[in-house]
Amino acid sequence: MSGIIEVDNLSFGYTSETTILKGMSFNVRPGTFVAIAGPNGAGKSTLLNLMCRALTPNSGTIRIDTAAIESYDTRALAVKVAVVRQELAPIFGFSVMETVLMARTPYYGSAGFEGRADREIANDALEATDTARFAFRPLTSLSSGERQRVFIARALAQNSLIMLLDEPTNFLDLKHQVGIYDLLKTAQVEKGKTIVAVTHDINLASQYCDEILLLGADGSYHIGKTKAVLSPEKIKEVFNVDVFAGKVGQEKFFIPLGKLAKNSRKTNNETGNIRL
Amino acid sequence: MNKWWWLLLIISCWMAAGVTMFGSRQGLENSGAPLPDRADRIVSLAPNITEILFAIGLGDKITGVTLDSDYPPDAAEKPKVGTFWQPDIEAVVAARPDLVITLGFEQQKNLAERLRRIGYNSLTVNIEKVSDFFAAIEKIGIATGRQRQANELISRIRTKLRQLASIVGAGPKVRVLWVVQREPLRVAGRDTFVNEMIELAGGENAIGSTVHKYPPIGSEQVIACNANVIIESAMGREDIENQRDRALQHWSKFKFLPAVANRRVFVIPGDTVSRLGPRLYEGTETIARCLKPHLFEN
Amino acid sequence: MEQLLTPKKLTTKIGLALAVLAAVMFVCSLIGTETVSLKAVFTGPGTQAAPNPDFEIMGFRLSRIILAGLVGAALACAGVVFQVLLRNPLADPYILGISSGAGLGAIIAVISGFNWTLWGRSPIAVFAFAGALGTVWLVWFIGRLTGKFHVTGLLLAGVVVNAFFSALMMFLTSIAKSDQVYATIFWLMGNLTEGDFLVLWIGAGCVIGGIVALFYIGPQLNALSFGADDARSMGVNVARTRTIAFGIAAGITAVAVSLSGLIGFVGLVVPHGVRLVFGPDHRQLIPLSGITGAIFLVIADTVARIIVAPAQLPVGVVTAIVGGPFFLILLVKYSKKVSWLK
Repeated sequence: MSGIIEVDNLSFGYTSETTILKGMSFNVRPGTFVAIAGPNGAGKSTLLNLMCRALTPNSGTIRIDTAAIESYDTRALAVKVAVVRQELAPIFGFSVMETVLMARTPYYGSAGFEGRADREIANDALEATDTARFAFRPLTSLSSGERQRVFIARALAQNSLIMLLDEPTNFLDLKHQVGIYDLLKTAQVEKGKTIVAVTHDINLASQYCDEILLLGADGSYHIGKTKAVLSPEKIKEVFNVDVFAGKVGQEKFFIPLGKLAKNSRKTNNETGNIRL
Repeated sequence: MNKWWWLLLIISCWMAAGVTMFGSRQGLENSGAPLPDRADRIVSLAPNITEILFAIGLGDKITGVTLDSDYPPDAAEKPKVGTFWQPDIEAVVAARPDLVITLGFEQQKNLAERLRRIGYNSLTVNIEKVSDFFAAIEKIGIATGRQRQANELISRIRTKLRQLASIVGAGPKVRVLWVVQREPLRVAGRDTFVNEMIELAGGENAIGSTVHKYPPIGSEQVIACNANVIIESAMGREDIENQRDRALQHWSKFKFLPAVANRRVFVIPGDTVSRLGPRLYEGTETIARCLKPHLFEN
Repeated sequence: MEQLLTPKKLTTKIGLALAVLAAVMFVCSLIGTETVSLKAVFTGPGTQAAPNPDFEIMGFRLSRIILAGLVGAALACAGVVFQVLLRNPLADPYILGISSGAGLGAIIAVISGFNWTLWGRSPIAVFAFAGALGTVWLVWFIGRLTGKFHVTGLLLAGVVVNAFFSALMMFLTSIAKSDQVYATIFWLMGNLTEGDFLVLWIGAGCVIGGIVALFYIGPQLNALSFGADDARSMGVNVARTRTIAFGIAAGITAVAVSLSGLIGFVGLVVPHGVRLVFGPDHRQLIPLSGITGAIFLVIADTVARIIVAPAQLPVGVVTAIVGGPFFLILLVKYSKKVSWLK
């Protein structure tokens, strides 16, 4: 029952009247790639922020690597958890290399400078994300896809056990979406990192993630292997959308079809035919 | 962490070192030290002080004046040590003075302190009222060993003023509105030396006592003050007649003021009335001629 | 962009910059309204009865030049810190009300005619210092009422406090005597006066110590440039960094302002200039901005001393006249480099 992230009876609301997350309990086992999906406002980003202690729960506990999250000081927590967020708007012209190196701040010596080891780690991270050729360009001169890869490189350079990502492929084209998930999967497989990514794309989740946590708008949640959790009924229940589900190899795929979509009558719910 | 403790330690040592090295400078405060009773090199930091020095015969001992010391004409030739508001301490020191005479307001008082601290003799005098003025002449006389000349100057001015008072004292006091600035309108109040000059000249300030020395007033007070005479101090080097014409034009809107109705608006050249100095009598007499011209028809 | 910063490179840069500063100070000490012969200076202070004027004058000049250096360094570093803390490139050290607080303190000192001297030094400096710090505390306090370190809240509190204190200052000025008014305005325009060495020493300790402390938190400030959340995920204790940075920056600004009045533009322009040339890494930006600020103000003050001799310009006038166009040039060059201007 132990995981690298253990959430026990977690409740949280931004104001005293509303509660977004109600009594959630789940574990994330080390080295797994977990997706978090759900409709807008369900609390996905909130959950992520709770897991990196940007927010404090109203009740319940979170344990990271078997210790309570409050017991870590900021530096120690950064060694365990790295975060890649959505809107990262730099206002000063740091270069790519400088940005990635900043992840090594928790490891700096007392003079506040990087050592050779830090620089190697940063270089590896740049190689892994295919951003080494931008190393000395200012961050602001990159496209958003390239910038996103740099921030992932930064999280990789932080060398943490856990990586939390908040919609990492939001504004990216297909090639980059796939590229990033490949990257994350590599990090999981080769380095044993635990990856938790909030995503809107359940198909990518289905193809890449081991487990998925579905959050409902009413605070309900389902967690388990992607194969088991994702189904047209569940998707209808959580997202209130009809889908056409199919199989490719061992995994399913889901095409959401609205009323006026060309093949709207082909959804599983419509034809009354649960294909899979 | 370690580097923070080091920083704190070094700063503490630094401060302690500073206090031990410089803090004991207290002893050099020789503000009570006796001044030389002869001075061969004098620096004056105000135009009225310069005039006083010239008036008691020390003109050729002056080695530095401020930019606006323009009377007597010889004063303008003297080396400059900055301006009245901002004396240049380098120039003062370069003039190697035996004595530096300053006025009493913040800036100059500060300068006098600093000079004293490094060993120069300085004298600070307050010249805000006529009584201060006479006291200042006396002090300067003592400090420079010219008591006799100083006392002569004082009694000369006093005598002339008394004579003037006897001429103009009789009769009703003329109500005067003394305008320092037209827009926004500021006038001289009762707590100024200009007011004293007005009273010595047989007049009385049309404005009652105020909190401000130079109160800003509104048109209502102008009408209510019922002034017989309006006096402005001349601005710049423009012809006095032109300035007077323009003043008359400006005040013409107050048709019901006796001063305007009788065209008794005057513009007086600045220095004798804006500077409290040895030309006190000349200034007062000029004012008197405006207030009670009939008494001077001789 | 150049290669990465290393301790060796940084030390070299700082060393060179200090050398330039020393050279500038030396040259400026030879410039002034009076000619001073160096040989005569070295003969010593002279006796009590016959002090050596060259020595005295040089002493005055050096004390003023050193003061200019300190104030310039303090304002420039404080500017860097406020720009990163408030994530606002137009921030300067006075943005949170320090200027009006200090000004109010100064005018109260002038008007009340308190003759309190602190070890014989002018009360204006003491009151201005107290005013500056008091205002910072007040703004911080008000800002916190809007929620834990909300940047906008802090800026708005600064605006409000600034407006209120400025109104008070206007009122007091209107009832003051003319020489008091002049003294206040003079102070507000920023002036460097030849001070005494105890004040300089203590001031130097505060300012240099503060700059070193800011250098220590350079890496944290770098992380903070990306926002508080990001910085926290990178292991930076955001609250503590902010408190330290804010406290030190406010402190050295208060020291600078109490010694010299309000000298503008240094805290705004110098950080941008240095950042443009050397990049935004705070481990480098802080010390180099400090040194550049010192050089800038020493030169500006020298100009102020001689350009309208025998009178003097307030040095704040010179920094504004030089700083204004310089800032425009920076803005044009900058707009090509930085995203927030597009």
